[in-house]
Amino acid sequence: MALLEVHGLVKHFIGVTAVDGVDLAVERGELVSLIGPNGSGKTTLFNCVTGYLAADAGRVLFRGRDVTNAAPHRVARLGVARTFQQVSVFPRLSALENLLVFLQQHQEERLLSRLLRTRRLRRLEAEAVERAHRLLELVGLSGKADAGAGTLSYGQRKLLAFAAALMPDPELLLLDEPAAAVNPTMINQMKEHILRLHGQGKTVVLVEHNMDVVMDISQRVVVLDHGQKIAEGSPQTIRRDARVIEAYFGR
Amino acid sequence: MRRAAIGALAAVVVSAPWLVAALVPRQQRYVLHVLIFTALFAALALSYDLVVGHVGSLSLAHPAFFGVGAYTAALLATRAGWPFLGALIGAALAAGVVAALVGVPLFRLTEHAFAVGTLGLALVASVVANNWVEVTRGPLCITEIPKPVLGVPGGPALAITTLPGHYWLALGALAAVVLLYRGLTTFRLGRAFHAVRDNEPLAGAAGIDPLKYRLLAFTIAATVAGGVGALYVHYLSVMCPEEMTVALTVNLLVIVFLGGVGSLRGVLVGAVLFTALPEVLRLAPTWRLVIYGTLLLLVVVRSPEGLESLLRRAAR
Repeated sequence: MALLEVHGLVKHFIGVTAVDGVDLAVERGELVSLIGPNGSGKTTLFNCVTGYLAADAGRVLFRGRDVTNAAPHRVARLGVARTFQQVSVFPRLSALENLLVFLQQHQEERLLSRLLRTRRLRRLEAEAVERAHRLLELVGLSGKADAGAGTLSYGQRKLLAFAAALMPDPELLLLDEPAAAVNPTMINQMKEHILRLHGQGKTVVLVEHNMDVVMDISQRVVVLDHGQKIAEGSPQTIRRDARVIEAYFGR
Repeated sequence: MRRAAIGALAAVVVSAPWLVAALVPRQQRYVLHVLIFTALFAALALSYDLVVGHVGSLSLAHPAFFGVGAYTAALLATRAGWPFLGALIGAALAAGVVAALVGVPLFRLTEHAFAVGTLGLALVASVVANNWVEVTRGPLCITEIPKPVLGVPGGPALAITTLPGHYWLALGALAAVVLLYRGLTTFRLGRAFHAVRDNEPLAGAAGIDPLKYRLLAFTIAATVAGGVGALYVHYLSVMCPEEMTVALTVNLLVIVFLGGVGSLRGVLVGAVLFTALPEVLRLAPTWRLVIYGTLLLLVVVRSPEGLESLLRRAAR
């Protein structure tokens, strides 16, 4: 059984079929890239898988469990983390709190325990703070722990959002254009981060336009065009695939 | 240093009735009345800020919850003969239940529609209070609401009959609301509320159910507002429909937004200033509203984020 299975997923918007019967299976520990021209349905597919859009047809299974059209917070709590294309942080929380908030919902959520700050919860919080500091250090934001996330630069916010997604130690990580609009040094950093996660056995799916990144790190590449899967395979085979070349460059 | 300052402030606030008696013996009753109103308004404004400041939903329905609590307490105390604490708890629960029921459909609405929906609720509540004469007595008001008696049936009882007594009761209620407010707006609950306020889609990705947290803040805020309503009618002995009009929303908006939205200190400063100030200005009755309006404008122009941001800048 694959970790993530998508069966015949369909999503219509007014006048267009953004995702048109896509099947996708991601095995545990895989590093898969989703590519395709603009408007080919990659982000829409992510949004359907993570509950941000309701699919019109098809099924999504995570660890064999049906999560089709489950609310985003439910999908997140099952162990699916995602980042957003438009860099997304909580601007009025500090960088540290941005990370903490991503772990706490996976732990004790009872109103009274939280209001009274039980000893157990304070211990969990101390552990979370420690973990958050380690992750901030990993992405090079140690010095910014107490800075408001809204005051960080674009690149810093991108790194913060990435670190936040890692906070609950998710089983599956969906990254929407981690290398878009950042400088070459940071692209290399991102590549290293993703490869390291993969090395730790995490399952990663990324949507990415930067072909160097995709071809460099992916084990498998899935190509979408007009909402349909047109090719799937190793980076080498995808590079030579006639339909892929046509989709990108025209006939 | 900071702790000492807070301690000194607390001492002054608690001993206010004696200070007032010593400093302005001739206006003692009037000043105490203003102080009681200030404490009750501060508690009400803090509960309101839980919704507008911490989950970022512009609700205009707070007078409705205050009114439900006030009328529930008034009716329980006069018609059913309930003791004060019973009426207080009943009032708080009634307001909380109403909020939980109307909150589910209201929070399906987007930002502006939500504000309009809550305004509608406030208007309906006000119309009901005026026209459901068999229950509320309409404009004739519910009168002869007994003074509060603290204590449980069968045990020792403490009747609140004097103005200082009412003041300390209101102050105790405010202290309880401050503690609740701090508990809700810091640590993990506060963080979840603020996440929903700052970026709802991302909050979902963090595993937070935005609707659940919005409803939680809304319901707790209404419960507190209902409790304040009960204290209010037991102090005044009267409950009339005009106590829960949209004018109350305007007052709360002024206190919260000009004091400092989402900030304990800001809302408290706002409550003191904007409850006491109109009273102080009674010394110049002709110009009262002109001066008040000008001051409001000045705050908005000079410090659009409220007095709290001025205080913060001053502390630096």
